[in-house]
Amino acid sequence: MNENRNWKKSLGAIADAFAQPLVAVVISLFLGAVVIVICGENVFTAYGAMIRGAFGNSFYINDTLKRATPIIMGGLAVCIAWRSGYEAMGGEGQMILGAFCAALVAYYLPLPGILRILLAMLVAVVVGALYSALTGWLYEKFDVTFIISTLMLNYIANYFASYMTNFVVKDPESLDINAVQTGKIAAEARIPAIFSGSVHWGFVYALIAVVLVYFLFKKTSFGYKSRMNGLNSRFALYGGINARRMLYVVLILSGAMAGLGGAFEALGSKYRYIDQMIFTTGFAWSGMVAALLANFNPIGTAVASILLAGLSTGGSAMQRSTIIPVEVCNMIEGIITLLMSVRLLRIAQKNHRVRKTAKEG
Amino acid sequence: MIFEMKNIVKMYDSVCANDDVSLHLNRGEILAIVGENGAGKSTIMKILYGLVKPTSGEIFVNGKKVHFRTPSDAMAAGIGMVQQHFMLFESMTVAENIVFKNEIHKGPFMDMNKTIETVQALSDKYQLKIDPRAKIADCPVGLRQRVEILKILYQNAEIIIFDEPSAVLTPLEVDALLETMKQLAAAGKSIVIITHKLQEVMAVSDRVYVMRQGKVVAERMTCDTDQEELAFLMVGRQIVNRHIDPIEATTTLLEAKGLKYYEDGREVLKGIDIHVNAGEIVGIAGVSGNGQSELISCITGLLPVTGGQVLIQGKDVTNKSVREIRDAGLAHISEDRYVWGSAPEGTLEENTLMCRQDEEPFSKKGLVNHRKIREYARSLIQDFAVKASSPTQKMRELSGGNAQKLIVAREMSLNTPVLICCEPTRGIDIGAMEAIHDRMVKRRGEGAGILLVSSELTEIMSLSDRIYVIYEGRINGEFKRDSMDDKRLGLLMLGGSIDNE
Repeated sequence: MNENRNWKKSLGAIADAFAQPLVAVVISLFLGAVVIVICGENVFTAYGAMIRGAFGNSFYINDTLKRATPIIMGGLAVCIAWRSGYEAMGGEGQMILGAFCAALVAYYLPLPGILRILLAMLVAVVVGALYSALTGWLYEKFDVTFIISTLMLNYIANYFASYMTNFVVKDPESLDINAVQTGKIAAEARIPAIFSGSVHWGFVYALIAVVLVYFLFKKTSFGYKSRMNGLNSRFALYGGINARRMLYVVLILSGAMAGLGGAFEALGSKYRYIDQMIFTTGFAWSGMVAALLANFNPIGTAVASILLAGLSTGGSAMQRSTIIPVEVCNMIEGIITLLMSVRLLRIAQKNHRVRKTAKEG
Repeated sequence: MIFEMKNIVKMYDSVCANDDVSLHLNRGEILAIVGENGAGKSTIMKILYGLVKPTSGEIFVNGKKVHFRTPSDAMAAGIGMVQQHFMLFESMTVAENIVFKNEIHKGPFMDMNKTIETVQALSDKYQLKIDPRAKIADCPVGLRQRVEILKILYQNAEIIIFDEPSAVLTPLEVDALLETMKQLAAAGKSIVIITHKLQEVMAVSDRVYVMRQGKVVAERMTCDTDQEELAFLMVGRQIVNRHIDPIEATTTLLEAKGLKYYEDGREVLKGIDIHVNAGEIVGIAGVSGNGQSELISCITGLLPVTGGQVLIQGKDVTNKSVREIRDAGLAHISEDRYVWGSAPEGTLEENTLMCRQDEEPFSKKGLVNHRKIREYARSLIQDFAVKASSPTQKMRELSGGNAQKLIVAREMSLNTPVLICCEPTRGIDIGAMEAIHDRMVKRRGEGAGILLVSSELTEIMSLSDRIYVIYEGRINGEFKRDSMDDKRLGLLMLGGSIDNE
């Protein structure tokens, strides 16, 4: 009897956790359908084309997974920071610097291929981590909230990389004068495809990262401490958890994930840094939506990332075979973001309130 | 009979807060409703005051059936409520607060002179002394409560409900309040007092209802009953009067020397000297807001100390991290169980693990052992008789008393030489309170030094070997167990001095 009630209760808790993401997805797909009907297309034809274009054959699947790779990493970055109570949104800036630096290391350093790849990834991790730690320092010393500092630093990273790509490290071999990009990485310094014509190994590394983060959350005392810090930072403080160390460790881990995501994109997909390549694709933001949809569960985040990537690749396919433009898919993701951000705001407010009173004592 | 409630039922989801409650109030009488926390006494009054809608049942005022949708409806029917938390504008005067919503106008402006006159007349009529021109911000708590009462009288209330009115008052202020109630009743007002303090019930009421688990379990004329019977009816069992054997105190475990804390340039702690010996419960008595919270936060490392020293077992831990201070031998039951003492959204096992997450066998080399953690949570739940369905349920699902027991279980199981208990039984029922007190006495017997901070004077008086009285950030007196006396304590708590101490 008692067991039965517990079982029902946990089922209820799961339903609670999934209610908002499910409602968000259903509402946005419904609104997407309305637009499709207004455009004069059959909803099933359009969504059918979208699903086929995302997961219909191996080519499309590979395309979707390739796109999902940086989204997963951006999502993990958000999972780590937000679960611990820091609503940082700097994944984009960290990813940009990670991609940019990895592209330069892989292009310029005269080392054997494998070393160049490893070093490029390492540099991306370090740069992402440091850039993320900077927001912690701004918070600690000057009381700048994460939302402000991370969003502003995203612009700084993007324009810095843009300037460098335009004027300092522009591709010397490019025939097209208008192509704002770094030099193309030699074949031996790229992250290779898993097998010919397929998604690159970065996707597998991202899945390994998912498992590691899951393990970190569930099986380590650090995972416990960071979760307590996220649930009630004053309780963590009272229990003797070092708040300062927590702040930096979490931000460094989060930034490392985002930076590495940038490296995967540069080394495995574009083979260079192209100006605005992270900014316009919105990988980091899709990652944030995925993490929110999954309530910061790393495995759920990976699944949501793949679905969001599919929405985008499928959207392009839909545009090719129906009269529906790809913007409908952007709209759908936008509505999901909007509906999920209602919760995002609530979390941010709660954390801010708690931390403020904790600081004031 | 001025009002009557018949067969009131109130369901919150599937929880029954009031189960077929019927009660009535006679004109000019003082009626007490007593019961443990969660017995449903506040709910029934909120229903009468229009704050909560009953699931079923009827309410009659002066024999007429009424439906209150808001407190304004209740007010219009002559029912006023003095809330536990006062609703006053700090920056306005007493008179302005009293006439709020029914201001006396002269053209488009408030007629200040007339207002003050009216308020003064009201104050004289009911012998509730106030200064109409004083700012609320300058009034002590007892006076603020008086303003609340006048506010209700100004609106011509015939029935006045007091919800735990003495919770925030000093003993002397409580006496004044009880006197006020008697005067009001003599003036023809009908009064309902909701409380769990039985001495007040005995001192002031004419009749008393006892509630337990949402039901009215007994109705007594106050003159026909006594505290023991009421307490028995409330908990359903007899309460033992605590007897504590004196222990010869020897080693000093916790010591604060000249402890100072400044906040925004204001001296909150002005050099506090206290010590706690092994095998001793030391109480800190005082009206809340006189520096108790800050003192404990400074000792436990949650606030930076401005001056002075904190020693635990002779080791200087001034301004050390919380971790270091706890490692030096201190556990801390915090003042607010949901703000500092737990993560309400976390599971019970997560909440019991705190402080031990890096200890074997709960974790080894940073990897946690979920089985051991769950076993540990189970054992604490069992040892301290916490009513919980599973270690994986959320903290916030526990009732206040059980949540507190779990926190007490966690901190006491750390087996530290020094234990700090801040308001360890605030807002919980007698059963849980007794259990927690038993544990404190047990830890004392095992040689722990316990520092007890409580705004509940009876708690301090019944448990402490020694009492410090704190007033405005200073220790204003010290008592030994055998020389305690609540009148003198009360005087010291209000800043008075006693020469023969």
